[in-house]
Amino acid sequence: MQMISDKDRQTIREHFDERLKGDVDLIMFTERQSPIIIPGKETCETCEPTRELLEEVASLSDKLKLTVHEISEARDQADELGIDRVPAFVAHGASRGQVRFFGIPSGYEFSALIADIIDVSTGETDLSEATKQFLGSLTQNVNIKVFTTPT
Amino acid sequence: MAVESEHVTADVIEAQEFPDLARKYAVRGVPKIVINENTEFVGALPEDQYLARVRAAVESNAETPTNGGAERNQDGI
Repeated sequence: MQMISDKDRQTIREHFDERLKGDVDLIMFTERQSPIIIPGKETCETCEPTRELLEEVASLSDKLKLTVHEISEARDQADELGIDRVPAFVAHGASRGQVRFFGIPSGYEFSALIADIIDVSTGETDLSEATKQFLGSLTQNVNIKVFTTPT
Repeated sequence: MAVESEHVTADVIEAQEFPDLARKYAVRGVPKIVINENTEFVGALPEDQYLARVRAAVESNAETPTNGGAERNQDGI
Protein backbone atom coordinates (compact mmCIF):
# COMPACT_ATOMS: atom_id res chain seq x y z
CA MET A 1 0.00 0.00 0.00
CA GLN A 2 1.28 3.43 -0.91
CA MET A 3 1.78 5.51 2.24
CA ILE A 4 2.59 8.90 0.75
CA SER A 5 0.08 10.31 -1.76
CA ASP A 6 1.24 11.15 -5.31
CA LYS A 7 0.68 14.83 -4.62
CA ASP A 8 2.81 14.76 -1.44
CA ARG A 9 5.50 12.74 -3.21
CA GLN A 10 5.76 15.42 -5.87
CA THR A 11 5.98 18.19 -3.25
CA ILE A 12 8.62 16.36 -1.19
CA ARG A 13 10.62 15.44 -4.31
CA GLU A 14 10.79 19.11 -5.35
CA HIS A 15 11.65 20.14 -1.80
CA PHE A 16 14.47 17.58 -1.66
CA ASP A 17 15.79 18.62 -5.11
CA GLU A 18 15.94 22.18 -3.93
CA ARG A 19 17.31 21.72 -0.41
CA LEU A 20 19.34 18.51 -0.09
CA LYS A 21 23.09 19.03 -0.31
CA GLY A 22 25.04 15.97 0.89
CA ASP A 23 24.02 12.32 0.97
CA VAL A 24 21.99 11.03 3.91
CA ASP A 25 22.09 7.43 5.11
CA LEU A 26 18.93 6.24 6.79
CA ILE A 27 19.87 3.22 8.90
CA MET A 28 16.84 1.35 10.13
CA PHE A 29 16.45 -1.49 12.63
CA THR A 30 13.41 -3.69 12.45
CA GLU A 31 12.11 -7.09 13.51
CA ARG A 32 10.68 -9.50 11.01
CA GLN A 33 7.24 -10.91 11.66
CA SER A 34 7.53 -14.39 13.07
CA PRO A 35 5.01 -17.03 12.01
CA ILE A 36 5.38 -18.45 15.51
CA ILE A 37 3.35 -16.84 18.27
CA ILE A 38 5.39 -16.62 21.46
CA PRO A 39 3.25 -15.98 24.55
CA GLY A 40 4.15 -12.74 26.27
CA LYS A 41 6.12 -11.44 23.29
CA GLU A 42 4.52 -8.50 21.55
CA THR A 43 4.80 -8.33 17.80
CA CYS A 44 6.14 -5.14 16.27
CA GLU A 45 3.06 -3.70 14.61
CA THR A 46 4.72 -0.57 13.26
CA CYS A 47 7.93 -2.16 11.98
CA GLU A 48 6.62 -2.96 8.52
CA PRO A 49 4.73 0.35 8.00
CA THR A 50 7.86 2.25 9.15
CA ARG A 51 10.02 0.38 6.64
CA GLU A 52 7.52 1.05 3.84
CA LEU A 53 7.34 4.74 4.76
CA LEU A 54 11.14 5.09 4.78
CA GLU A 55 11.43 3.23 1.47
CA GLU A 56 9.00 5.69 -0.08
CA VAL A 57 10.87 8.69 1.37
CA ALA A 58 14.24 7.31 0.23
CA SER A 59 12.86 6.82 -3.28
CA LEU A 60 12.22 10.56 -3.59
CA SER A 61 15.88 11.57 -3.91
CA ASP A 62 19.10 10.03 -5.22
CA LYS A 63 20.86 11.52 -2.20
CA LEU A 64 18.99 9.30 0.24
CA LYS A 65 20.05 5.74 0.95
CA LEU A 66 18.10 3.37 3.19
CA THR A 67 19.66 0.34 4.87
CA VAL A 68 17.40 -1.99 6.84
CA HIS A 69 18.80 -4.30 9.52
CA GLU A 70 17.07 -7.10 11.37
CA ILE A 71 17.97 -6.06 14.93
CA SER A 72 18.67 -9.60 16.15
CA GLU A 73 21.28 -9.94 13.40
CA ALA A 74 22.89 -6.53 13.87
CA ARG A 75 23.16 -6.12 17.64
CA ASP A 76 26.66 -4.66 17.55
CA GLN A 77 25.70 -1.92 15.15
CA ALA A 78 22.47 -1.24 17.06
CA ASP A 79 24.41 -1.01 20.36
CA GLU A 80 26.89 1.36 18.81
CA LEU A 81 24.05 3.65 17.78
CA GLY A 82 22.26 3.26 21.13
CA ILE A 83 19.27 1.49 19.63
CA ASP A 84 17.62 -1.07 21.88
CA ARG A 85 14.11 -1.24 20.45
CA VAL A 86 12.29 -1.33 17.12
CA PRO A 87 11.27 0.21 14.87
CA ALA A 88 14.07 2.75 15.07
CA PHE A 89 16.34 4.55 12.66
CA VAL A 90 19.10 7.12 12.50
CA ALA A 91 19.85 9.71 9.85
CA HIS A 92 23.57 10.12 9.08
CA GLY A 93 25.00 12.86 6.94
CA ALA A 94 26.66 16.18 7.64
CA SER A 95 25.27 16.55 11.14
CA ARG A 96 27.80 16.59 13.97
CA GLY A 97 25.61 14.87 16.57
CA GLN A 98 23.16 12.02 16.31
CA VAL A 99 19.45 12.11 15.43
CA ARG A 100 17.47 8.95 16.27
CA PHE A 101 13.83 8.12 15.68
CA PHE A 102 11.96 5.51 17.72
CA GLY A 103 8.56 4.48 16.33
CA ILE A 104 6.82 5.40 13.11
CA PRO A 105 7.19 9.07 12.10
CA SER A 106 3.65 9.59 10.86
CA GLY A 107 1.19 12.45 11.24
CA TYR A 108 2.88 15.64 12.41
CA GLU A 109 6.12 13.76 12.88
CA PHE A 110 6.34 13.14 9.17
CA SER A 111 7.02 16.80 8.39
CA ALA A 112 9.59 16.85 11.22
CA LEU A 113 11.29 13.87 9.57
CA ILE A 114 11.50 15.62 6.20
CA ALA A 115 12.89 18.77 7.86
CA ASP A 116 15.43 16.72 9.85
CA ILE A 117 16.62 14.89 6.74
CA ILE A 118 17.28 18.26 5.10
CA ASP A 119 19.16 19.58 8.17
CA VAL A 120 21.25 16.40 8.35
CA SER A 121 22.03 16.71 4.64
CA THR A 122 23.17 20.33 4.83
CA GLY A 123 24.69 20.18 8.31
CA GLU A 124 23.09 23.56 8.88
CA THR A 125 20.13 24.79 10.93
CA ASP A 126 18.12 27.97 11.38
CA LEU A 127 19.14 28.21 15.04
CA SER A 128 20.13 31.61 16.42
CA GLU A 129 23.76 32.66 16.85
CA ALA A 130 23.34 32.47 20.64
CA THR A 131 22.24 28.84 20.42
CA LYS A 132 25.01 27.94 17.98
CA GLN A 133 27.57 29.61 20.23
CA PHE A 134 26.35 27.62 23.24
CA LEU A 135 26.41 24.37 21.27
CA GLY A 136 29.92 25.12 20.04
CA SER A 137 31.10 25.58 23.63
CA LEU A 138 29.71 22.24 24.89
CA THR A 139 32.26 19.87 26.34
CA GLN A 140 29.90 17.30 27.82
CA ASN A 141 27.24 15.15 26.22
CA VAL A 142 23.61 16.20 26.10
CA ASN A 143 20.70 13.87 25.38
CA ILE A 144 17.37 15.37 24.39
CA LYS A 145 14.34 13.11 24.27
CA VAL A 146 11.24 14.41 22.55
CA PHE A 147 8.09 12.40 23.15
CA THR A 148 5.44 12.77 20.48
CA THR A 149 2.23 11.16 19.26
CA PRO A 150 1.11 10.85 15.63
CA THR A 151 -1.80 13.27 15.95
CA MET B 1 20.82 21.03 18.04
CA ALA B 2 22.16 17.56 17.29
CA VAL B 3 22.96 18.77 13.78
CA GLU B 4 25.14 21.54 15.23
CA SER B 5 27.03 19.70 18.00
CA GLU B 6 28.79 16.35 18.21
CA HIS B 7 27.92 16.33 21.91
CA VAL B 8 24.16 16.30 21.31
CA THR B 9 22.01 13.22 20.73
CA ALA B 10 18.36 13.87 19.90
CA ASP B 11 15.78 11.10 20.25
CA VAL B 12 12.31 11.42 18.78
CA ILE B 13 10.13 8.85 20.52
CA GLU B 14 6.59 7.91 19.56
CA ALA B 15 5.04 7.66 23.04
CA GLN B 16 2.11 5.38 22.15
CA GLU B 17 4.37 2.72 20.67
CA PHE B 18 6.62 2.60 23.73
CA PRO B 19 4.35 2.73 26.78
CA ASP B 20 7.24 1.63 29.04
CA LEU B 21 9.19 4.77 28.17
CA ALA B 22 6.06 6.94 28.37
CA ARG B 23 5.50 5.60 31.90
CA LYS B 24 9.13 5.94 32.93
CA TYR B 25 9.21 9.59 31.88
CA ALA B 26 5.62 10.30 33.03
CA VAL B 27 4.45 11.47 29.61
CA ARG B 28 0.95 12.91 29.98
CA GLY B 29 1.09 15.50 27.25
CA VAL B 30 3.11 16.00 24.08
CA PRO B 31 5.52 17.19 22.99
CA LYS B 32 7.32 16.32 26.21
CA ILE B 33 11.01 17.08 26.30
CA VAL B 34 13.46 15.40 28.69
CA ILE B 35 17.04 16.70 28.75
CA ASN B 36 19.80 14.61 30.36
CA GLU B 37 17.27 12.83 32.58
CA ASN B 38 17.18 15.87 34.88
CA THR B 39 15.21 18.60 33.15
CA GLU B 40 11.82 18.30 31.54
CA PHE B 41 8.97 20.37 30.15
CA VAL B 42 5.84 19.97 28.07
CA GLY B 43 4.97 21.99 25.00
CA ALA B 44 6.82 24.02 22.42
CA LEU B 45 8.99 26.89 23.71
CA PRO B 46 10.59 29.83 21.94
CA GLU B 47 14.20 29.02 21.06
CA ASP B 48 15.78 31.24 23.76
CA GLN B 49 13.74 29.56 26.51
CA TYR B 50 14.49 26.13 25.08
CA LEU B 51 18.19 26.99 25.13
CA ALA B 52 17.88 28.12 28.76
CA ARG B 53 16.51 24.67 29.70
CA VAL B 54 19.33 22.88 27.90
CA ARG B 55 21.86 25.14 29.62
CA ALA B 56 20.23 24.43 33.01
CA ALA B 57 20.37 20.68 32.35
CA VAL B 58 24.07 20.84 31.50
CA GLU B 59 24.87 22.96 34.57
CA SER B 60 22.84 20.64 36.77
CA ASN B 61 24.92 17.69 35.54
CA ALA B 62 28.16 19.55 36.19
CA GLU B 63 27.19 20.03 39.85
CA THR B 64 26.33 16.39 40.45
CA PRO B 65 29.47 14.85 41.98
CA THR B 66 30.18 17.43 44.68
CA ASN B 67 26.81 18.35 46.13
CA GLY B 68 25.63 14.86 46.93
CA GLY B 69 23.20 14.52 44.03
CA ALA B 70 21.93 16.50 41.11
CA GLU B 71 19.48 19.26 41.79
CA ARG B 72 16.48 17.95 39.97
CA ASN B 73 14.89 20.56 37.85
CA GLN B 74 11.40 19.23 37.23
CA ASP B 75 9.40 21.69 35.22
CA GLY B 76 6.06 21.34 33.52
CA ILE B 77 3.68 18.84 35.06
